[in-house]
Amino acid sequence: MTSLVADRLVLKRGGATLLDDLSLSLGATGSVAIIGPNGAGKSTLLKVLAGIERPLSGTVRVGDRDLAALSSASRARAIGFLPQYFDPHWDLTVQELVRLGAERSDHLTVDAVDKVIDTFELDGLGRRRWSTLSGGERARVLLAAVLVVDPPVLLADEPAASLDIRHRLDVIETLTRRGIDRLSVVVVHDLDLAFRFFERVIMMDQGRIVADAPAAALIDDPRLDAVFKVRFERLETSDGPVLRAVKVADSAGLG
Amino acid sequence: MTGAPIRTGLTLGLALVLAIVVGVCAGHDWATPADLMRAVAGDQALRSRLLVEWRIPRVLAAALVGALLGLGGVVFQGVFRNPLAEPYLLGSAGGAALGATVALLVPLAMPQSILLPLLAFAGAWGATVLVIGISRVSGAVDAAGMLLAGVAVAAILGALRSFLMLALSDETVSLQIVLSWVLGGVQTPTWPVLGLLTLISAGCLGLTLLLAGRLDVLGLGETMAVAFGLNVTRFIAVAVLAGSVVVAAAVAFGGLVAFVGLAAPHIARWMVGPLHRPLLPASALVGAIIVTLADAIARAALPPAEIPLGLVTAVAGGPFFIMLLARRLRT
Repeated sequence: MTSLVADRLVLKRGGATLLDDLSLSLGATGSVAIIGPNGAGKSTLLKVLAGIERPLSGTVRVGDRDLAALSSASRARAIGFLPQYFDPHWDLTVQELVRLGAERSDHLTVDAVDKVIDTFELDGLGRRRWSTLSGGERARVLLAAVLVVDPPVLLADEPAASLDIRHRLDVIETLTRRGIDRLSVVVVHDLDLAFRFFERVIMMDQGRIVADAPAAALIDDPRLDAVFKVRFERLETSDGPVLRAVKVADSAGLG
Repeated sequence: MTGAPIRTGLTLGLALVLAIVVGVCAGHDWATPADLMRAVAGDQALRSRLLVEWRIPRVLAAALVGALLGLGGVVFQGVFRNPLAEPYLLGSAGGAALGATVALLVPLAMPQSILLPLLAFAGAWGATVLVIGISRVSGAVDAAGMLLAGVAVAAILGALRSFLMLALSDETVSLQIVLSWVLGGVQTPTWPVLGLLTLISAGCLGLTLLLAGRLDVLGLGETMAVAFGLNVTRFIAVAVLAGSVVVAAAVAFGGLVAFVGLAAPHIARWMVGPLHRPLLPASALVGAIIVTLADAIARAALPPAEIPLGLVTAVAGGPFFIMLLARRLRT
């Protein structure tokens, strides 16, 4: 069980402020969606939380330890990171990729690799090379490689964005299910997926957190319209409200 | 693992033995396998003695230089995650050659046998770090950008080397020695020197195998490599150092031999796949076969003259590079 606490993160690059004095506290369990317009700093925040980028100032604590003080290896075991794009330079097989993920942990049995291959229904694909896989298969392979060590924290950057809707639902469900007994933080572009599947939604804009609330509370919040610079119609369905964006001619009236 | 890489290894090993036999038989004075057997069995005739003392060590040295080039190519392609990376194209071999030229032509206070490998290593490492630095600063970190930086650095180093050769050579230090080196050519070693080269090659294989697992992780891309627990900056620095040791050894014993470091890893990857642990020894074997055969052609094609080895590999390897480049640009 590992919580994740960020304190006053600042990150600037080329004159632009990507993270602006951002603080955030995430418990040891839960499914959390991060939403926000392009350039809000969502991916940057995720990379800083994963220890892939260093902030200019501020700290991240993983459990009771400072992220910057962790060794690369123990950080990689504690935090799973799923990138937005993954394009390996060498055309490895499914088995080889999962095994590379497994080698993060020094006490992992062969069973774990077999088990994760089974969980993600990759049995028939073990010897297939990355270049021959479909988008949905690639997503499952990447999930398997990241989750094979069963990290207590998972940070995922829009891993499903380019998939068709069924595979997207598969991936999102896998990620949120981990939130039951672990921490699962996902950058989500599809707002309806964010509000429908995640317990907590964090909305970012210009390197800051604008709103941080349970999904059901945030969906009616007018700040949603302001941050995305559209007017949302909340369409009631049996499954809760669904958002439909309507362009506003002039955004001046939206604080 | 499955038996497939082992079978491929045995096949390659057998092919190398055949290549070595062909290499020993080839020359302006062709020997038959029977001559070879007799010579190895201890025949004292002049022809047999020449085979044992001149041709066999030369051929074995060529094989080892090829193996080093195969290893160096894998390390460079792995570090730069660039299938077109090669010690020769990235300026690393050029740096080693410049260092070696300085050792040969500039009178310095150390014995040449120590100075030459040392300066060759410094040159290989310096040139590689320079290329990385240039491509980082100019933002050209993609495959093509890094190659262009490498070509530019190689050109500058080549010019410096030519200048040194023109300015410093006189009757006492023959241009011929340096020139034959620049064009690539395995010198015939004595048996003790060959033993040393064997040790160095084995050491280089061991050194690069230590990097194999981390080269695999680096191949996932920098973000994923960090996410999987690799300290990327430190590893690249270590791997470039190790790669420079390998290149310096290859250049010190074989001069500037083009394109073997490019072709051998590719051919080996077709056979054993891209994982580095099987790839490194496979590429070493392929490199050894290529250079053994190229050296045989160099010695036998225009008797009694010898064509520089680097010219043979460039003529054969250039088209290979163009083919890879074309295929890469299409995708």
